[in-house]
Amino acid sequence: MNWKYIIKRLLLTVIVYVILVFIYSVLFNSVLERTIRVQIQEKIQAEIMAMTDMPSDQVRNYREQRMKQEYDRYELDKPVLQRILNRTKRTLTFDFGNATHMRSKTGEQNAWTIVKETIPRTVILFSTATIINLIIGIMVGIKKAQKAGGALDKATSIGTMIVFGMPAWWLGMLLIMFFGYTIKIFPPGGIQSTPPFDGFRAFLDQGYHMVLPVITLVILGFWGTSFLTRNVVLGTLQEDFVMSARARGIPERAVLYGHTLRTAAPPITTMAVMSLVNSIFGNIVFEGIFSWPGMGNLYFTAVQQQDVPVQITLLAILTGMQLLALAILDIVYGFLDPRIKVGGRR
Amino acid sequence: MTLKDRKDKFMEFWNEYKKVKFGLVGLAFLIILLLLIIFEPLIVPFEGATEAWSDIAYWQDYPQNSRPVWTNFFSKDKRTPSVILEDFKETELPQRGQVRFFEYEFEYDYNYDIAPKDMILRFKGDGKPFVTISIIRPDGKTIDLIRNREMIISSIDGARVSIQNNSGANAYNFASNYESAENLSGVARDRIDVMPVIMSKADVGITKGAEALKGTYTIKISAILREPQENIEKPIITMSGAVSGLMGTDNQKRDLFTGIILGIKWALLIGLLTSFVSITIGVIYGVICAYFGGIVDVIMQRIFEIFYGIPMLPLLIVVSAIFSPSIWLLIAIMGLLYWVGPVKTVRSIGLQIREETFIEASQALGAGHFRLIFKHMVPLLLPYTFASMALLVPGAIVAEATISLLGLGDTTIVSWGQILNSAFRGGAIINGYWWWVVPPGLMIAITGMTFAFIGFAMDKILHPKLKSR
Amino acid sequence: MNNNVMEVKNLKVYYMSEKGPVKAVDDVTFSLKKGETLGVVGESGCGKTTIATSLLRMPSPPGKIVGGQIVIDGIDIVPLKEKEVRKNIRWEKVSMVFQGAMNCLTPVYTIEKQMWQTLREHREMEYEEARKVMIKYLNYVGLSEDVLRRYPHELSGGMKQRVVIAMGLFLEPKVIVCDEPTTALDVVVQAQIINLLKELKEKLGLSFIFITHDLATEAEVSDRIMVMYAGKIAEIGTNHQIYGEKGPMHPYTKKLLEATPRLHHRVEKLSFIPGTPPDLLDPPKGCRFNLRCTEVMEKCYKDEPPIIEIEPEHFVACWRCVKK
Repeated sequence: MNWKYIIKRLLLTVIVYVILVFIYSVLFNSVLERTIRVQIQEKIQAEIMAMTDMPSDQVRNYREQRMKQEYDRYELDKPVLQRILNRTKRTLTFDFGNATHMRSKTGEQNAWTIVKETIPRTVILFSTATIINLIIGIMVGIKKAQKAGGALDKATSIGTMIVFGMPAWWLGMLLIMFFGYTIKIFPPGGIQSTPPFDGFRAFLDQGYHMVLPVITLVILGFWGTSFLTRNVVLGTLQEDFVMSARARGIPERAVLYGHTLRTAAPPITTMAVMSLVNSIFGNIVFEGIFSWPGMGNLYFTAVQQQDVPVQITLLAILTGMQLLALAILDIVYGFLDPRIKVGGRR
Repeated sequence: MTLKDRKDKFMEFWNEYKKVKFGLVGLAFLIILLLLIIFEPLIVPFEGATEAWSDIAYWQDYPQNSRPVWTNFFSKDKRTPSVILEDFKETELPQRGQVRFFEYEFEYDYNYDIAPKDMILRFKGDGKPFVTISIIRPDGKTIDLIRNREMIISSIDGARVSIQNNSGANAYNFASNYESAENLSGVARDRIDVMPVIMSKADVGITKGAEALKGTYTIKISAILREPQENIEKPIITMSGAVSGLMGTDNQKRDLFTGIILGIKWALLIGLLTSFVSITIGVIYGVICAYFGGIVDVIMQRIFEIFYGIPMLPLLIVVSAIFSPSIWLLIAIMGLLYWVGPVKTVRSIGLQIREETFIEASQALGAGHFRLIFKHMVPLLLPYTFASMALLVPGAIVAEATISLLGLGDTTIVSWGQILNSAFRGGAIINGYWWWVVPPGLMIAITGMTFAFIGFAMDKILHPKLKSR
Repeated sequence: MNNNVMEVKNLKVYYMSEKGPVKAVDDVTFSLKKGETLGVVGESGCGKTTIATSLLRMPSPPGKIVGGQIVIDGIDIVPLKEKEVRKNIRWEKVSMVFQGAMNCLTPVYTIEKQMWQTLREHREMEYEEARKVMIKYLNYVGLSEDVLRRYPHELSGGMKQRVVIAMGLFLEPKVIVCDEPTTALDVVVQAQIINLLKELKEKLGLSFIFITHDLATEAEVSDRIMVMYAGKIAEIGTNHQIYGEKGPMHPYTKKLLEATPRLHHRVEKLSFIPGTPPDLLDPPKGCRFNLRCTEVMEKCYKDEPPIIEIEPEHFVACWRCVKK
């Protein structure tokens, strides 16, 4: 693998990332500013109220002094562009600052802490669903390709199209209504029961809470994977080397899983990674419906409360993850396809 | 290409398309949706509903959170559907001096088990008449619901009185004649459920509506007009049913069937406009990259990568939160982010086309850039373009619905996403109001399915070798 | 006393398309002697590649063998079960050398892996032993053992062709079907491969079916030649009978040879055969060459000519050659 290529790719990722963080900083700046100004006013006002016996001109001085102090602290009197650049720089160095309104589970104010505790929850939910989707999707896709045009193929293709425009959060709503409230066999949301369990039971409890959301995601998710797998595998099956392998007496199983699937692996892998990345991004609302305290839910709460630092942190993390995933994908693709790996002609 | 060439190509395409069964199904659905939009004013049972969607007063007389009418088919106890009584017998009694006496008689056939939620009298006119409302039950008993109430007729809305809200005491008194002491003690005089009392058998359990009294009820309204210029016009009685409408009502008493029908045009508008704009931009962008190559390609690719890295939903959320956008701004932003979709594929196809000898030939003949791009390259991409457009529509519709669900959408329009937003916030899920949640989402899914059918059918024609072995 | 290593009798292979059966190979009979090379020539679409894949009993879908016999080493492979064919026939009794330009080596496996996998499937062998076999045959085709650890895309066209030949040989099957093995290669490499094949035939006593549309190559390589047209045999003869001074008997073969420019003759205009091959979905009545034949008679439009032996080993299907 060409080291030059890897470095170039990563460098490109970093540049794009910087530009995006800059754009975010621009967007958020005005909102954050407004919020902080208001907060400063309130804080100073509270301070003044606490000092009951101060003559009015002293009050004025005090207020001016304090405002200047606070403005300095938040750099509010510096020109706009500089503030934006500073924020960009800080975000890039992972200095996310403190949330304006929100607090973490342990009551901390640090934006990164708040975000950090939600990351594993989101990851576990969507990874589980994606892995199940991939397994089912690839298996079904291969079966479809083997008997292309057959009953399974046609039926599943129609199925793919039927769920194509179905919002995951809506299906989630239906499942919650039915299984969560009408026949109460699954919890209608949240990540743990109250009162929470300990140890291994907590682990099982979380799994219990994951059932409905994961089922929702799987019901909608595997069709696309199977459709794509079917097309890629079918295309590969029509290649000459497949016929040649069969002619050599190689058993069908080895032809299918070895020769065909290995060759088809790059595009399928791309699709797998893309679907994981997309599922995390596109499902902000999904978490909300299930009251699943992950990144998506956090993002939404932050938007509602206009807590900009948390929003920027989340955006920075999510965007970073997406860009990194894409870059890694590109590089791994190279490893998977020996035609690129050894630098040969494609 | 001449007109005939175009027509031939189109017929060729159409012949291929006809062969794909699900493509035709999709097309049929699309036509149905379009017809529903065109005939919307005729289908929607409520006039002026579009503007009145947020107007609480408009929907006042309807029940809250009521099931669709057809659920009666499946339940043992039939619920009363909403109905408007407009026929009445008007009698004028002999005048006494200036004072005039009018009587209006309405007949109502009641054949259900569960009483309506309310009975509301409305009328227009002028003045401040004194109104008495009494109801004669099929068992011969009469209840005076409202006695000599002065009702002020406003010039804008007329006059309105709700039995449920105003006849509590009278209903309680009536009930106390027949009800057991035990049951009565559990009922508060001012919070009694009036309608079941009026319409149940005069027996123990009347306060709970234990057994419905079926038959014909006569509602008598007497009005006393004291001044000569006073008059009463168009009295109407609305039975606010326990079931209402084809798809029930929401917590603002709005008829959901109306909402669903009104939402169709927005869904199609959002989907088609967004996909048209973004795919067009994307395809042209990709072709230009492929055509010019070199430094142009490199720069454009970098710009592309920046846009590609922007996560659409989070950005949409942020912008909506900051700016509270109209639907047009939302469409614009979506268009600005979705264009990245087709670019990679279009560029690689474009690169292949560029290597074709006919391009070289055209260049040798002196064709300019514009001509080459738009007359030679783009037409070859048209099938892919249309397939992409069709396949993008569902995504755009869901994106808008998602934003609306978060409460960040354009609240002035009636979109399915807005309806779902009200549902979620109105506790529809917890309370199991399935008629509020299922139809809007189902419509989103069906519309998505329609365009998926169409788009995949086009895609299938594009890649015939993947049909079967 | 049968010296035939393969006998094909009345073979019919049709492609079952949506519009009906396309009669790609329609009642073809021929045989292959041990140690000889039978060349199969014809235009594109005459059925020669269909024959090639059918001899391994895997006609490309939607093709199906609908009738006839293919007897290899005494066994008719047509009615056998697929499992049987895969285990005992393919590559054991009959192998195939594909067109080099075809993408017939799996891109994600090394040459070694592909050869080893094939060997292991058919022989009880330890890796060490198998490796020796692989290297032996690679050497036969003029390649070093270096090739083993390479991926297909790292090899040139000629090298790939040699690998394919080595793989076709190393189980030493009775029949080796070569489908256009030199077509996509440049002339120099072509000559090398042809020499190689001739050498191997001598050395190992193999029997080949050599399919090509290039008459010149055919002349170099084949002992006997079978000319096909529109799914049927036009003429079969020895190399000398077809290419020799007397020349072929079938009008089609005659025209084919005429159309090949010679180095030492002066040619004013290149001759060619006007028209195109017939539609095999609905072949014409009578002789399939009737519309393009310059020696056509009335009978040719009515009845199909039988194959007759006009001299030992020389068969023609033409009414002109039938003596009354």
